[in-house]
Amino acid sequence: MNFNDTPQRIRWATLAILVGVAILLSILDTTGNLDAALSFVQDPVAAVAGWTSARVDSFADALAGPRDLRVAREEIARLQARIDELERENEELREVQGEYQLLLDLFNRARQTPDYRRLTAQVIGRDTSPSLRSIIIDRGSDDGVRVGMPVESARGLVGQVFRTTAHAAQVVLITDNASSIPARLGNSRATGVLHGGGLGGSMSIDWIDLKYRIEPGEVVLTSGLGGKFPPDMVIGRVVEVERREAELFQRAIVQPAVDFEALEIVFVITDFEPIDTDVFSAPPGN
Amino acid sequence: MSNSVYVAVPVMVLATVLQTAVLPRIPLFGLTPQLPFLIVIAWALTRGPEEGAVWAFVAGFFMDLFSTAPMGTTSLAYITAVAVITWIQQALPPSHVVLPVIFTILATLITLFVSLLFLRLFGYQTTISAVASLAPISLLHGGLILPIYWLTHLINRTVRPHPVQI
Repeated sequence: MNFNDTPQRIRWATLAILVGVAILLSILDTTGNLDAALSFVQDPVAAVAGWTSARVDSFADALAGPRDLRVAREEIARLQARIDELERENEELREVQGEYQLLLDLFNRARQTPDYRRLTAQVIGRDTSPSLRSIIIDRGSDDGVRVGMPVESARGLVGQVFRTTAHAAQVVLITDNASSIPARLGNSRATGVLHGGGLGGSMSIDWIDLKYRIEPGEVVLTSGLGGKFPPDMVIGRVVEVERREAELFQRAIVQPAVDFEALEIVFVITDFEPIDTDVFSAPPGN
Repeated sequence: MSNSVYVAVPVMVLATVLQTAVLPRIPLFGLTPQLPFLIVIAWALTRGPEEGAVWAFVAGFFMDLFSTAPMGTTSLAYITAVAVITWIQQALPPSHVVLPVIFTILATLITLFVSLLFLRLFGYQTTISAVASLAPISLLHGGLILPIYWLTHLINRTVRPHPVQI
């Protein structure tokens, strides 16, 4: 088939049809009418991606295994020095912990520690769009994963389930532009909404009242407001505070606790006790 | 429509699996190249706008399966890029080295811009500066296109040799 002889109108018609179908797909997907069809296509491909990911892991492990012995010895020496340093820090922290424990016990009198139900999931892929931040995990709706469930790793909050298929789910990372999480600062107790900076940007909490004195290094936790995330999950640390006295609010730049590039296993929190906000649903005086 | 459409589906499934599960683990200069996109561009430059557009649609479809972007946005971005570069290609003399590199850089920039446009249209907070920070990926694509282009060119010549007039 010689495409140079193809009539121009057929070429334009092909392009127009493809563009039309693509726009139709976008609209159907945005309105949520494509989920079942997508699940049908995505599940087998996700299974192949999961299998490939596991093979790549094994291959990478095999390559990393027989490393140079000298490098290993240097690493041991470095780690030993690090252990000494950490032991000293640990002693100092124990003292702080004593005080903290006392305050925590008082705090816990008024609060029941919620028991979360967690589901372990393997990260099998990453967002194919370079401008978006999400991961694909090997658990889906058949495993009890639902849209909106929070996802964490051993180091802190990872994100929220965005879309599920029967055996896989897509998780929007907290660093994505679309992410906004009610957050609280550990020391100053300031609250705000943490926005993911997206590509090339930083996570930040905007519109913090100037009355709060925020210091770099403060831990950022989920506030639990809104009920979508459990309270007190570690998100990261404040690395910079943009405080201008001429303005009414200040802004904290946050570094995530999780290394998203190294994520392999995550936990989907399938059940937790959200903060009770029913008190606000009833009008006063009732 | 050509039979290559049927080849596009398995090729793009494979390329997308590699894109989501393997390539992010081996970034080049800190960037993850878009393998399905490179295949689309190479095929479009070899086989022309019609087949290029179909491959672009298929590639975009599978890419969007593993993205939070609305289904169809990547297809639109790829189709636009293919349409532009194949249109320019027809006006220029054939070249197997310089032009594929230039076309790929151009196509990458077009894709990024069109993606930004559609993502914003669907309410995503993507910014120009964020997309601009991805511009170096166009240079990476420019460097990687040559082996893929030559391979597709070779496949094309083997599978569909030029007709000989007697």
